[in-house]
Amino acid sequence: MKNDPTFWILARASGFAAYALLTASVLAGLVLKSRPFGSRLRPATVTDVHRFLSLLGLGFLAVHGVALVLDRAVEIPLLALLVPGVADYRPLWTGLGVVAAELMVLLVASFSLRRLIGARNWRRLHWASYATFALASVHGIAAGSDSGRPWALGVYLGALAAVAAATGWRILVPPAAARARRADPRPEGGTVDDRVPHRDRPVAV
Amino acid sequence: MTAYRIEIDQSLCSGFGTCVETASAAFALEGGVASARVRVSDDPTVLEAAAGCPMGAIAVYDGATGEQLA
Repeated sequence: MKNDPTFWILARASGFAAYALLTASVLAGLVLKSRPFGSRLRPATVTDVHRFLSLLGLGFLAVHGVALVLDRAVEIPLLALLVPGVADYRPLWTGLGVVAAELMVLLVASFSLRRLIGARNWRRLHWASYATFALASVHGIAAGSDSGRPWALGVYLGALAAVAAATGWRILVPPAAARARRADPRPEGGTVDDRVPHRDRPVAV
Repeated sequence: MTAYRIEIDQSLCSGFGTCVETASAAFALEGGVASARVRVSDDPTVLEAAAGCPMGAIAVYDGATGEQLA
């Protein structure tokens, strides 16, 4: 069984799948924030896609970790999945992968804990998505045994270029609603009936 | 003129602030969570704000008929 490559192949494939899903999830999050497609995409649907991609990515991440532990080509102890730098195999680069994975778990879990930590803190925490993507990219390129292959390099460069472009769009192009508001600012409270302040009433679903 | 009745499910709101950007006369962020400044508005941009909410946390009803508009 020492030379059985099944788990090694599974570890590599699931690693790439998790990275692709993380990239797609980050892109969906950026689309949600910067609205490059205007009203053609329903934001709530994009949110669902964003969450689904993240969860699916976590699933592949779990397969990636378990396959690495079960594989015998490279000795990765179970503890190395939780503690960065414990693995003998490229400890720095695999350690960065562990940190990225733990951040990803934290980010996904934080969605369900929004009420506990507060919406403002949750959004602050979400900035860690950029670090997660960066760490996962460095981990994949430096620890992955396929990084020298042109197709693998294409995956990493494509993902980095897509996220960089979407981030650039987010920084440089304000969402359509903000643009419209800047062009045609409405007076505060000018067209509304504020005799019954809603904040004092029970919130209805 | 249509009166729009606004309802927000604050358990869904994640404080993106899109509603405030779209219709600041009708929405505000308090402690990072959206609240309605008013219960009823005649400003149709509240429909746009509801449609644009990333969490689908805002519902807008026709004040006269109760029909959900967004």
